[in-house]
Amino acid sequence: MPPFKDEQIIIIAPGSETTVAQLGLPESFTPARIRVRSRMFPAEKEGEWEPFKVRRRDDKNGLPAPPPGDPETRPDDDEVLYEEDRVSEEGAVWPIQQGRIVNWPCFFALVTHVYNTMNPPFHTPILLITQPAWTPREHERLTQFFFEKFKTPAFALMDSALATCWAYGVHTSTIVDVGKDKVDVTAISEFIPHIQGRVIALPDCGGEALTNGLMAKLKYRQFSRDMCEQLKKSPICELLPPGTPLPGTGDANGQDGSANPAALASTGALSSGPEAASALGIAPRGPGADTEVGDEGLEVESEGVLDVASIVAGGKMSEYLARKEKEKQEKAAAKKKGLEAPTAAARPIRLPNSKREKATFMYEDHRLLDVLKGMNLGTKGMGDMHAALDEGPQRSRQEEAEGEPRSAIEANRSADPTSSSRSGPIRREIEVGVERFQAGSSGVLEKIADAIHRAISAVDEVNKRSELWDSLIVCGNGSRLRGFKEALMVTLQTKYLISPSSATIFTSEIPSNISTPAGTGANTPQPQLGPHGGPSQVNPLLLAATTAQNPHLMPPGSNPLMSGMISHNSHSSHGQTPSSIKIVKPPEYFPEWKDVGFDESPFLGAQVAAKVIFVVDQGASKGYMTRPDYNEQGPTAIHDYSL
Amino acid sequence: MNMANATTAPNTNEYAGDEVSAIVLDPGYSTTRAGFAGEDVPKSVCPSFYGQSDSDAGPQYSFGENAIHDPRANLEIRNPWGSDGIVEDWETATKIWEYSITSRLTGARPGNPAKNGLNDAHGDAMDVDMEALESLEKPLEESPLLMTEPGWNPQKAREKYIEIAMEEWGTPAFYLQKTGVLAAFASGKASGIVIDVGAAMTSVTPVLDGMVLKKGVQKSPLAGNFVSNQIRMIFKQAQPEIPLTPHFKVASKTQVDAGAPAQATYKKFDYSPTDSFGRHEEERVLTEFKESVVEVWPGPGRFSNGTNEEIAKSQPGRPFEMPDGWNQVFGVERFRAAEALFDASGALTDPENPRPKDEHTIPRLVQAAIQQVDTDQRPLLLQNIVVTGGSTLLYKFNDRLAYEINAIYPSTRNKLIAPGSAVERKYASWIGGSILASLGTFHQLWISKKEYEEHGVNIVEKRCK
Repeated sequence: MPPFKDEQIIIIAPGSETTVAQLGLPESFTPARIRVRSRMFPAEKEGEWEPFKVRRRDDKNGLPAPPPGDPETRPDDDEVLYEEDRVSEEGAVWPIQQGRIVNWPCFFALVTHVYNTMNPPFHTPILLITQPAWTPREHERLTQFFFEKFKTPAFALMDSALATCWAYGVHTSTIVDVGKDKVDVTAISEFIPHIQGRVIALPDCGGEALTNGLMAKLKYRQFSRDMCEQLKKSPICELLPPGTPLPGTGDANGQDGSANPAALASTGALSSGPEAASALGIAPRGPGADTEVGDEGLEVESEGVLDVASIVAGGKMSEYLARKEKEKQEKAAAKKKGLEAPTAAARPIRLPNSKREKATFMYEDHRLLDVLKGMNLGTKGMGDMHAALDEGPQRSRQEEAEGEPRSAIEANRSADPTSSSRSGPIRREIEVGVERFQAGSSGVLEKIADAIHRAISAVDEVNKRSELWDSLIVCGNGSRLRGFKEALMVTLQTKYLISPSSATIFTSEIPSNISTPAGTGANTPQPQLGPHGGPSQVNPLLLAATTAQNPHLMPPGSNPLMSGMISHNSHSSHGQTPSSIKIVKPPEYFPEWKDVGFDESPFLGAQVAAKVIFVVDQGASKGYMTRPDYNEQGPTAIHDYSL
Repeated sequence: MNMANATTAPNTNEYAGDEVSAIVLDPGYSTTRAGFAGEDVPKSVCPSFYGQSDSDAGPQYSFGENAIHDPRANLEIRNPWGSDGIVEDWETATKIWEYSITSRLTGARPGNPAKNGLNDAHGDAMDVDMEALESLEKPLEESPLLMTEPGWNPQKAREKYIEIAMEEWGTPAFYLQKTGVLAAFASGKASGIVIDVGAAMTSVTPVLDGMVLKKGVQKSPLAGNFVSNQIRMIFKQAQPEIPLTPHFKVASKTQVDAGAPAQATYKKFDYSPTDSFGRHEEERVLTEFKESVVEVWPGPGRFSNGTNEEIAKSQPGRPFEMPDGWNQVFGVERFRAAEALFDASGALTDPENPRPKDEHTIPRLVQAAIQQVDTDQRPLLLQNIVVTGGSTLLYKFNDRLAYEINAIYPSTRNKLIAPGSAVERKYASWIGGSILASLGTFHQLWISKKEYEEHGVNIVEKRCK
């Protein structure tokens, strides 16, 4: 068995939205180097796929191009040029939906594209992160594909929930993976997932559902799906814990409302620090709620100017531009007016996002860009249009380029090397009200909470459940939304947490261990055990009494005796779970990951696992299948080689 | 049946060349278990309940755990099993079983890459495509199938099983075995008496050398669902009545003192979730109650005997908190819920729930089953009393069962074989099936497609005894 080296190892983690991959394990584990949106475009020839949208282009001599969608106009022209449009997603096929592979040829093309992007040398073992929704038969199919297409010397599959476990370095936990269009909840004890009760691909709960939630709330303002998507990713969108009042209309005082939105950056978007900063950095002149300009801007928007693309397409371009120009000047004037005061004065009265009634975000209008491209204005025309429409200040581009790659989803969209000022996204500023807190209004959190309860209740060993409740891990890019984890915790706590019963304090406990033996002697009293649990070293009622009424007064872990008792000893006074719910702290020793957040922790876990199975133990744990193994036993044997 | 191989895994070289991993399907009232033969737990455990919502376009069915816990307007929760432990609604039963296999074992569209190209144009229209494809492709064309059946399955039902497997799923080979035998196999026994307390039915099956003694098979409806009903009655008859509120109705709960009325905020629905949905969700709470509160009186004697109740009273109670925050300590009541499994007179009754019959209690079932066995075989069976089924996980169930059996048969050496792990107890018959179907001899047992085509459905009566 030739040992593998760190730099040879390939890890691929396909997802519904983004597929991440990396060649080689760095000294200190980093987030994935390669990020590809999980979609391909059908090529001209049926059965072939292209990683980017390919469209016809013809800009020599400024001839009018054939209208899009009518390729037959000039069938004999050899001069037709094709251009790769790296931003447009029109006609894309997404092979993974709700975690399931729905289009295999497309999926294989995607994997091949990812593989080729890495340009790997010959001797590369591959570790593939699998989604819980993939069935064993599909694992076999993947095995076959990888061995036969890439001639890989070794191949391993790893469940994504298990990978998260490895990343956090815990053996028992409940993994809540919030994806694009689904949520998976997996209870894992001692590194073994409980597959029976696993909640796989719970629909309508992922990031997509949150976008839909925003869309439903903002319907009256005719927000497009793309707007909502970007609003969701902007730092002003937040989930408030259930029961938190929305910033009301009545008490919003004008002064505070005008505070510079840039200040928000300092309120610290928990999971998206740098992203927040960079996104806000480009929006330093948001119209305050109390300025004339701001109100007017809002009015204009509510009149339907959100959909600039259709205005442009409808030929009312110049009208719009003129009005916009006027607005711009007004804004500039307003800005000048208050130039001395604002920056210094506004700072002290910062309000956290959750208290602000309105906030603005930068919207990258891809549709507008598409429309413009469709009009084939030529290089110069495009440039002009772009300059006229783009509200995002150019000077922040530098900043953005630095900050952006950290943002998981946006990375390959706007930090694309091709985004010169001409073809880069057109950004516009949009203001939203309290709707931005209502992404979860369709009951997303409750559904996820219920799924967690179901998954843990389905664990057959009752005594393992409380430990599972005490070690929740929420990961997945769907949970990046600010406040998501906190709100989910509050939902779980208000709905499922079992409080110590006040009754147990007053019932007499003493007789339990010394009850009267029956005449036969068969009733010799036993210490009171939980229904299926181990013995309790501490009187459960003592615990109940000390924690009674107000578990919140007892910060978890404040009393080492107590916390130890709860986790090692399956029962407190309740046989019911959960008597406490905790989220596992992410590991401290991955500095690169710490900055980015652990939303893609499966990838981190895969790095750890790859290091172990490919390098450290050199195949002793049978964590991967080698090529000779495959040749001998065929793809079905993959099930014998897994962690 | 050659049991010598049951404990040792077959050597891969022996027949790995053309090994086809069989699928084992063990349908039950509460869950349907499916998985690949040779594995130690079923990979797929799906609820046998399904959702049905009627619309103008006809009834829409939804399967799987995720679909049936989501409160939607006019979503009815149904079950294809009849109250006698035999499938009633074959059409949906087939769909549920198929779902349990395709959703987690084989994938929705097994091995037909040619078909996939058709979907490229409209990748979003997944559901439509799936349905269309399902009618074209048969889900089990590559895998032999072993199914389990209750011991009292009538011939008609058995023929239906093979028909579904062969015609609808296109399996190349099929075999049917009784749950009792398989549960015994799972414990490594070829002979024994199998006590299976499931959700809908309790059954007692005498097994001799891998064969069920058909006339000895006993069944009764006193099982998990019955205990649930008893708990409901405990709640109802309590003073004041204990409200049973399922999780989905509660938005958030507030801690209240024991016995005090709940002060939760409830969720508002713009439609009313159906009763069957509500009941199914209540069942979740009752399951939790069974797991954490209910205790079987361990003996000696019945719960109602002499001072037993007094003794029970002196034992500490167990607290239970409802999803709406209502909580109380259950003292002596918690012994009553399952008492009727052993003693019919201990049952709680009301006009809708009459007193169960004496001969339906577990001791009487065992007695009746043993009665049918030759006297000289009885000691052998009593040495191998295999306990299986999810409801046997009730706290102290085995203590009481041992006491009851020893009381009836004081002179024999009675031994309970009850796997300690909950997984093995719950899925015993599936595990037995997994063992059987991974044996090298399995292909001698099964009915091949060719044989089926030659002889028709009644071959199942001849071959699967």
